[in-house]
Amino acid sequence: MNLIFTLLVTRQYLSKDQIRQAIADYRESNQVAFERKFERDKEELRELGIAVETGTNDKYFDDEPGYRIRRDTAELPDLDLTREEAAVLGLAAQVWEHAGLASSSTSALVKLKAAGVDVDTDVLRMAEPKLSAHEPAFEVALDAAARSVPVRFAYRRPGADEPTQRHVEPWRILSWRGRWYLVGHDVDRDAPRMFRLSRVVGDLELAGEPGAFRRPPEEVVSAAATALFPRPSDRTARLSVAPRRANALRRTATHVETGDDGRDVLVVPFSTGWDLAAEIASYGPDVVVLDPPDLRDQVVARLRAVLADSGVGA
Amino acid sequence: MTRPANRSAQQVVRMLALVPYLQGNDGVPVREVAREFGVTPKQIRDDLRLLMFTGVGEYAGELIDVDLAALEVDDVIHIRDAEFLSRPLRLTADEGVALVAALRTLRASASGSQLPIVDAALAKLETAVAAEGAVEAVDVHVADVDPAVRDTVAAALADGRRLEIDYATDSRDDVTTRQVDPQRLFTRQGHTYLEAYCLRADDVRFFRLDRVVRAADTGRLAERHDTTSRDLGDDIFEVGEQTPSAVLDLDPAAHWLTEYYTVEELGDVDGRRRVRLYGGDEAWLRRLVLRNGGTVHVVEPHALRVQVLDTARSALAAYDG
Repeated sequence: MNLIFTLLVTRQYLSKDQIRQAIADYRESNQVAFERKFERDKEELRELGIAVETGTNDKYFDDEPGYRIRRDTAELPDLDLTREEAAVLGLAAQVWEHAGLASSSTSALVKLKAAGVDVDTDVLRMAEPKLSAHEPAFEVALDAAARSVPVRFAYRRPGADEPTQRHVEPWRILSWRGRWYLVGHDVDRDAPRMFRLSRVVGDLELAGEPGAFRRPPEEVVSAAATALFPRPSDRTARLSVAPRRANALRRTATHVETGDDGRDVLVVPFSTGWDLAAEIASYGPDVVVLDPPDLRDQVVARLRAVLADSGVGA
Repeated sequence: MTRPANRSAQQVVRMLALVPYLQGNDGVPVREVAREFGVTPKQIRDDLRLLMFTGVGEYAGELIDVDLAALEVDDVIHIRDAEFLSRPLRLTADEGVALVAALRTLRASASGSQLPIVDAALAKLETAVAAEGAVEAVDVHVADVDPAVRDTVAAALADGRRLEIDYATDSRDDVTTRQVDPQRLFTRQGHTYLEAYCLRADDVRFFRLDRVVRAADTGRLAERHDTTSRDLGDDIFEVGEQTPSAVLDLDPAAHWLTEYYTVEELGDVDGRRRVRLYGGDEAWLRRLVLRNGGTVHVVEPHALRVQVLDTARSALAAYDG
């Protein structure tokens, strides 16, 4: 604490000697112990996100380098929040159900309150989202991505017997439908890859220094994560659907009309036939593909696979 | 994590926020400070005792002065000689990341009129984080909801009005129309839910917002219902004795199912992974097997196996005809 205060109030750079004289605990230690404590305390400041600047007061004299904390970079700037924005931040601080992240949220909110922000969450009626993270690898992965530290871990894909060892530069941790993924550069494959954190076997370990790599531009990071999101539809299918059936398909239909046979004809946009064929097969006779033929074939192949499995044959 | 792992570092972080907070709230009761900081009153007293030994120097006027009489007698806090720390420090990387992820989650379930507020808060927050680029390290996506449905539901909740919704139950493949009195909107495991009193069920129900096909304001006021808000735990889906299940053999191509559904592992049989999979009802299980045709094999119940085969056969007949 005293080191922070001492370095914060000074405009000039303080030499190590001056710092030692100013703080009783340092002054009363011998030289070796002082050096050790000073280094430890500086490291602790760095971990608290407080940047200690080094420099000399007079560039014409070959002074010993000194230390100071710049007020303007260390202090929280005035955020000029409206009542509603402050309420949003207050609600955000209640979102995490992960103990570590919840405590970080609380300490962030405390800083805002200390800066005079009045947080009254009652001014807004909003959804109350909850974020949790049960994946054991989550916390280390998030830390590694925030500080750009390379990681290594064993990863098991479903259906594979043995996990494989991966070396990754983590760019981002992202949550998709309640599950956490790591997006980054797979060093061994020299390509962007995405990993599900729940498939990490054992510990995810830091394997390098903070800032060891630079996160690429946003479009590269997003592109690496696109596999998670449905691809934009570029084709359409025409389906014959029994009345009031296949409601999930009906929600995605762009056009519905009732055919002569009493069944509805749906026009449904899609991108991967594989996904749509699976969905259609699940409805059995309630959904029949009219067009296109390749989709029709995929559905038929799936249904035949079900029968082949039983030994009945198609 | 850069989050202080030990208690003394956490205490330093707290005291650094405490000093400007106490200067801005002169005479605040200990209890209130403890609540704001999420710690015990005893902890705040310990912090204050430690703070009195800190300052910019070692002489009177250089050390932080706490009014002990006011603290002992009235349980309120006055501090002096702390002007050198009148503002809190910037947010650390982990504080920034935690709040940004939370805001992105809020954003995903915010209504149209609330979006600009969330975006403004996000932009301002990002300027408050000490570690550059840290906030880009995390992102949150929530399943898309029809904006018209979301806004109607959010408005009805805010104004206390009754809604009429068409709700699709995909496991049973049907759509029902119900009148509901909204109680709460929340997001869980990547989906937004409406907790509401359902007049049809005469009880509280959870509705996944992406399955609300249509929502309309009835213009009537919602009524108060004497119900306790259930806490929807992380396991939205709970397995009980009545939960339908099936024993299935999975080919490697279907092993991913075990990550998405509740299963009990039964070991390997003939090179396939045997599991008991719980969920939905018989129709849901039948659709699951058909969806993964050829890679998921029904062991039991026999009735499910027969149903799957019958359904596949009649579906194929539709194509041959």
